[in-house]
Amino acid sequence: MIKIFIDEKPVDVEEGTTVLKAAERAGIHIPHLCYHPAFPPEGSCRMCLVEIEGFPKLELACSTVVKEEMKISTKSERVVEARKAVLEFLLAEHPLDCPICDKAGDCKLQDYYDEYGLFESQFKEAKEKREKKLKIGKSLILDQERCILCTRCVRFLKEVTKTQDLGVFHRGVNSSVNIYDGATVENNYTGNLAEICPVGAITDEDFRFKTRSWFLKEGESICPLCSRGCNILIEYHPGFSRFELPKRVYRIKARENPEVNGFWICDRGRYGYSYLDEGRADKIIMNKIEGENVLTWENISEYLGEKIKSLFSAKKTSAIALILHTWLSNEELFLLHKIFKDDLKVEKIFFADLPEGEADGFLLTSEPSPNRRGAQEVGFDLKTLDLDALAGGTDFLLAFDPFLSGLFSTKDLEAALNKIKRKVLFSSYSHELNSLFDIVIPVALIAEKEGSLTNVEGIVQGFQPALEPPGDSLPEWKVLADLGRDLGIDTKFFEKFPSPETILSEMGKKIPFFKQKND
Amino acid sequence: MKEKVLTEHFGLESLYKIEVYQKQGGYRAAEKALKKMKPEEILEEVKKANLRGRGGAGFPAGVKWSFVPDTDKPKYLCVNADEGEPGTFKDRYIMSHNPHMLLEGIIITAFCVGISVAFIYIRGEYEAIALRLEQAISEAYEKGFLGKNILESGFDLDVFVHRGAGAYICGEETALLESLEGKRGNPRLKPPFPASVGLWQCPTVINNVETISNISHIILNGAEWFVKQGLPKDGGTRIFGVSGMVKNPGIYELPLGTSLKDIIFKHAGGMKEGKKLKAVIPGGMSAPILTADEINIKMDFDSLVEANSMLGSAAIIVIDDKTSILDVLKVVTKFYSHESCGQCSPCRIGNSWINKIVIRIAEGKGKKEDIDSILRLASNIEGNTLCPLGDAAAMPILSITKKFRKELESHV
Repeated sequence: MIKIFIDEKPVDVEEGTTVLKAAERAGIHIPHLCYHPAFPPEGSCRMCLVEIEGFPKLELACSTVVKEEMKISTKSERVVEARKAVLEFLLAEHPLDCPICDKAGDCKLQDYYDEYGLFESQFKEAKEKREKKLKIGKSLILDQERCILCTRCVRFLKEVTKTQDLGVFHRGVNSSVNIYDGATVENNYTGNLAEICPVGAITDEDFRFKTRSWFLKEGESICPLCSRGCNILIEYHPGFSRFELPKRVYRIKARENPEVNGFWICDRGRYGYSYLDEGRADKIIMNKIEGENVLTWENISEYLGEKIKSLFSAKKTSAIALILHTWLSNEELFLLHKIFKDDLKVEKIFFADLPEGEADGFLLTSEPSPNRRGAQEVGFDLKTLDLDALAGGTDFLLAFDPFLSGLFSTKDLEAALNKIKRKVLFSSYSHELNSLFDIVIPVALIAEKEGSLTNVEGIVQGFQPALEPPGDSLPEWKVLADLGRDLGIDTKFFEKFPSPETILSEMGKKIPFFKQKND
Repeated sequence: MKEKVLTEHFGLESLYKIEVYQKQGGYRAAEKALKKMKPEEILEEVKKANLRGRGGAGFPAGVKWSFVPDTDKPKYLCVNADEGEPGTFKDRYIMSHNPHMLLEGIIITAFCVGISVAFIYIRGEYEAIALRLEQAISEAYEKGFLGKNILESGFDLDVFVHRGAGAYICGEETALLESLEGKRGNPRLKPPFPASVGLWQCPTVINNVETISNISHIILNGAEWFVKQGLPKDGGTRIFGVSGMVKNPGIYELPLGTSLKDIIFKHAGGMKEGKKLKAVIPGGMSAPILTADEINIKMDFDSLVEANSMLGSAAIIVIDDKTSILDVLKVVTKFYSHESCGQCSPCRIGNSWINKIVIRIAEGKGKKEDIDSILRLASNIEGNTLCPLGDAAAMPILSITKKFRKELESHV
């Protein structure tokens, strides 16, 4: 560790740290545009110039490594002037597009002008004209006039995807980023380009003109579309009081996690968020009423508990079957295992997951669901669902699944389910196949509940709700914890689970793998 | 009595042929160095000679060579023959009249630093000269001065000529390396410096043609002799390139410390008939301009720095009273905005902005505040750029605008 001074404040940092990172640790933000922690310093934007005692010229914070007793000033007159100068140059050739630019409110140029600029434009010449709506591939649009040539996009495609789809063409003020000879950007990580662009040069058609960034709220979550478990930010619109919006979620962004996904997410996870809003189930539906009272969240676990208990007392638990899936959290799978495998000794436990796909050699895994590893570690053997094996001798079916409609034909499902006396479905989606079940209970998605998932590499990641579950939906862990208690077989065990955290803690005591919990 | 070092035999027919060169004593220095001297001794000699870089920056060559670390990585030598600084044409004379003098210097330099591959990065426009160099190189290979086990010393050296493609910025040493590696000629951040991290991340020495051409003379005649041809702190001669409104434009090899007035009026024959001296750019276009009253100055590194200018590439551009300073400024701003590589915003946008203002003034649409704008913008470029091109642009723009403000103001 060495000691340096930033703005007269003593700071202790590790050897080899750059001034920029050292300042960050001391809580001082040094403005920068071309620097991105994923790549080595570029040094071309000149925004991070700082004054260091003993150095005649201003030096770059992003690339200068600290030395013992270094005295750095991020606010001296020279630094203030230099920042203004750099901003002035950048803004001179920058189009005044803010009113129509998606990046507004999220734009580094705006932010820095607001903080370090605030001068009137002295540029009286004609600005350079360039292409403003270049489709460079997939859903990306490049506006060369807004581009400040930070080259983050060029470097991303060189260092991360190694596809080198973008390059800088021409020289001097004619420099412009472009694709090579019509060879568009086509890989599974293109969405990251719009995210790392500090201005509105690269925009996403998925988000273009849909809403303004300052309306959006952010919630942290984990992407469930494969077993990598990339950390994401869900940007959603909380809605207006006077009219309804077509959706809540407008955008997914990457959240940094050096152990899991680094700085990036893949395009499937970034653009595949319609599952959060489309076709959601939000009411408890009873298709077959057997003269009982109306089911609500208060009595559902009681009702289920009663039915299951009667089978248990009659030693007929072999007539119980479960369909599970691996979007369920570690805690939910643990409770299911405890109730149905351990206590009730149910044999017919099947998993109906989406069919395996292809990994892409980077983040995307071949498993299209987030918690297969978790299910394995909890003790399930992930038997694939076979409809005949399911239906044979089953009187009571509990299905946790939104995927059945995609995996089996209506005819086959109907045939199988007709053989089963009682069938309860826990699902997040309204689908016409839901009518085949007696009771449909709406449940929350990962983005709407608390819990943890185990990714393909065995990393256990906790998550908190980013969104509100719609309507009457509740998280599965709550139903299961209540069910376990109401079943009365091992009441004491289930009394101590007011939250998923407590369940995970119990898992750590019972299963060595879960002793390591993180997040 | 000071002697000519480099141009002594210029004008001799077929000097570029190896037999003629050898008849004048050529390659004796290489023999002495490889057979009778150790690399450390050669380095000492070059350091003692106080040979400062002749490309523009004036960094002491011996000191630069000593920065190369001891390493298993291959080391490289790049001779900077880009000669991009406007007004400069000395290197083309050296390479076309006496290419073997350059090669001999390359051999001794490479032997001293432990280099076995050397590149001559020559500006693309010098096609004929590149061919002459390649001719000389094959002659040298034939006679055993290049290739394996040169002069039975156990020392190998290969030399390649690489042509540039029309970018001033590739004369900047790190952009030169990028171009040599086949990439865009974008300068790199320094530190690290090429002596430790250069061509393909290996230690690389980069020196100007004229600098290397002096090496054989230093070895043959000794550092003390070399210093005597110039000044105690600046050894040797400079090849001054005089252009502009003088009677006899051309190259003049003179001792460092020669008076600028003498160079123009004694050696270059003075102003052309009917022209009066108005201004002189003393060291290539990037050097701050001098007015007609400021030419009583010694042409050496330190004296020019004191006068707030620079010796640079020793290219003396003589401007007469019929030349409009606005035209001079136009050429300057057009050049730097065209040659900017575009990486960093102050140079990329600043130079273009200033150029746009100057064009507007030249079209008669200038305003009073434009002069101050030019000064403000040029000051904002200076010191804030990734490479020295920004400063190379800012300095002449500032000096021309400040010293000839009255004349410029008459246009707005």
